[in-house]
Amino acid sequence: MGKVYNWQLGREIDFPYEVERPEKQFAMIFDTNKCIACQTCTVACKTTWTQGRGQEFMFWNNVETKPYGYYPLGWDVNILDKLGVQAMDGPVYNGKTLFDAAPAGEIILGYLPDDRDYAHPNIGEDDASGVMPQGAHMTMPHMQWMFYLPRICNHCTYAACLSSCPRQSIYKRREDGIVLLDQSRCRGYRECVKACPYKKVYFNTQTRVSEKCIGCYPAVEGGRQTQCTTSCIGKIRIQGFLGKPDKPDADNPLDYLVFVKKIALPLYPQFGLEPNTYYIPPVHVPPGFLRQMFGWGVEQAIETYRKAHEDPKLLAAMTLFGATPEISHYFRVDGDVAVGYDAKQAEIVRVPLREPTVVRELYDIKNKVYRTNIT
Amino acid sequence: MIVRSLVLSAGFLAALVTGAQVAHAQPPITVARVTGVGPIVDPSATLWKDARPVKVPLLPQSVALPHMPDPVVKELTVRAVHNGGWIAFLVEWKDPSVSDRLMVDNFGDQMAIQLPVETTATPPSPMMGNPGGRVNIMQWRAALQYDIDHGARTIKDLYPNAWADVYPDEVLGATDARPYAGALGIENPVSRGVASPVLDQMAEGWGSMTVKPDQHAVGKGVWKDGIWRVVIARPMTSDDRNAPRLAPGMRTSVGFAVWEGGHREVGARKGWSPWIPLVIPAAAPVKAR
Repeated sequence: MGKVYNWQLGREIDFPYEVERPEKQFAMIFDTNKCIACQTCTVACKTTWTQGRGQEFMFWNNVETKPYGYYPLGWDVNILDKLGVQAMDGPVYNGKTLFDAAPAGEIILGYLPDDRDYAHPNIGEDDASGVMPQGAHMTMPHMQWMFYLPRICNHCTYAACLSSCPRQSIYKRREDGIVLLDQSRCRGYRECVKACPYKKVYFNTQTRVSEKCIGCYPAVEGGRQTQCTTSCIGKIRIQGFLGKPDKPDADNPLDYLVFVKKIALPLYPQFGLEPNTYYIPPVHVPPGFLRQMFGWGVEQAIETYRKAHEDPKLLAAMTLFGATPEISHYFRVDGDVAVGYDAKQAEIVRVPLREPTVVRELYDIKNKVYRTNIT
Repeated sequence: MIVRSLVLSAGFLAALVTGAQVAHAQPPITVARVTGVGPIVDPSATLWKDARPVKVPLLPQSVALPHMPDPVVKELTVRAVHNGGWIAFLVEWKDPSVSDRLMVDNFGDQMAIQLPVETTATPPSPMMGNPGGRVNIMQWRAALQYDIDHGARTIKDLYPNAWADVYPDEVLGATDARPYAGALGIENPVSRGVASPVLDQMAEGWGSMTVKPDQHAVGKGVWKDGIWRVVIARPMTSDDRNAPRLAPGMRTSVGFAVWEGGHREVGARKGWSPWIPLVIPAAAPVKAR
């Protein structure tokens, strides 16, 4: 085992390979406050990539309800249970990563799901944390709560799937950090299925090898965001590239939101994999729960989010979500407009920071009719 | 660059260092000469009675992660024959149940035979060879055997109540539907049993095993009454640069590995044997007139 630096945990961790950070890292930010679990992203991914035989049960993108939803069943509670209670205190994580907790003779702590764990992808949907007592009123955070968690492969910097394959059938691309599973080299050992704590590698019974989210790399190579991002009707996602954590570029919307404003947090950073999907935490959920899922920055992230409308640059970065199918490598505020730029710094989108509003008068003078006509 | 962690326990250092030697007295496998022409694949053929059976004990795999500290199958019975053109091994082991149905939590029974490619030098590492020390690994898979005997299991076979509205190959031409076939569309060798249930592979150390572009290994596995009887055969000589050239009068080595599917043994999680001496007796001299 070698040592690599995990910026999310503020320390070095054990990892079986030496890793050079990619030139730019494929990353995605989700605003959980906007997700309505319409599953358009799920359908977009499935229609594009997982229509084949053996892929029927696969949801490379899925949206589950927290606290009682999971796909596959119990993926997070199972591995958290195996890892044991760890202190989620920053800025340096002193608990165990999954590599630290690897049993003797294993590379990483993991488990293989049962086949039937995949049978109910929508289990727990819309189940709140508990029953609202009679006469209760809404508090903030909500005393009974639920929120939606959309997930894809995190294209981790220190990917568990990659580290566990005895044949090195999984690799991480230098140019964009997308993690891919070589379909000709894989022999279906399922070490990766066992190792990935997010359970985002799937075994195909028809091809007898494993498959995973490919980061829509054909689109990304062409400067276009992923299918799940561009199809999102709620505009809750932005996909782009992160730079190096020690030298963030404040003009890159992803760097700005993740490294500078810290409004978007990684998913279960304690596993140690440095996942590259980041979540703006749901403001109505008790921070005590969120701390386990997103780390110790949740309270500060929620506060930043609730004040985002006061910060033009932050608002501009947020307004770019769903504004264009193209990847914004740079952005800036131009008066009351957010502008996105591609890799060559050509302008690709302009979005007003405030949606233009029009008030329509009750009586339409020109047509001599009340606009509330209901007959 | 790769930083590998090697956990070498004392017992296997011996196997590594001494190569062809085995820790305790292991009888060699003598290849019996039989008549006939062509590949030998049938485990129930009568010619096997000409070969002396040899017991081969199997060891836990605790060198390369992930380990298998307690493989289920502890011992194989091996017979070897050749007919001048083909060499064949009949390997038998106890297994209470057949595992040939691959699902996420179901692994298949497998058995592999390893031969060093260079037969003149000291054999390479018994652990799937080493850089510069190539080995030929012929691996039989119960799942591929099932494909050949019965046809590959479809989704309907595995999940009788599953339903899908349409598949790309039902509405697109074969070429356009191929991207939706994943590994099958690029002919990944484990995706289907095609001609042979045995994968003809080479390796230069664990992690490097690669299926050869030209497949010469054949075989057949039959399970009956709690015993797998599996034949793996290959031509004794060929233009395959990643296979040994075998001939009567030769001494080389052979190694074995077994995976018990029911115990989730796959890949590195296996029982394996170090090098066993393999003797191909010289042809009987032609009597002078």
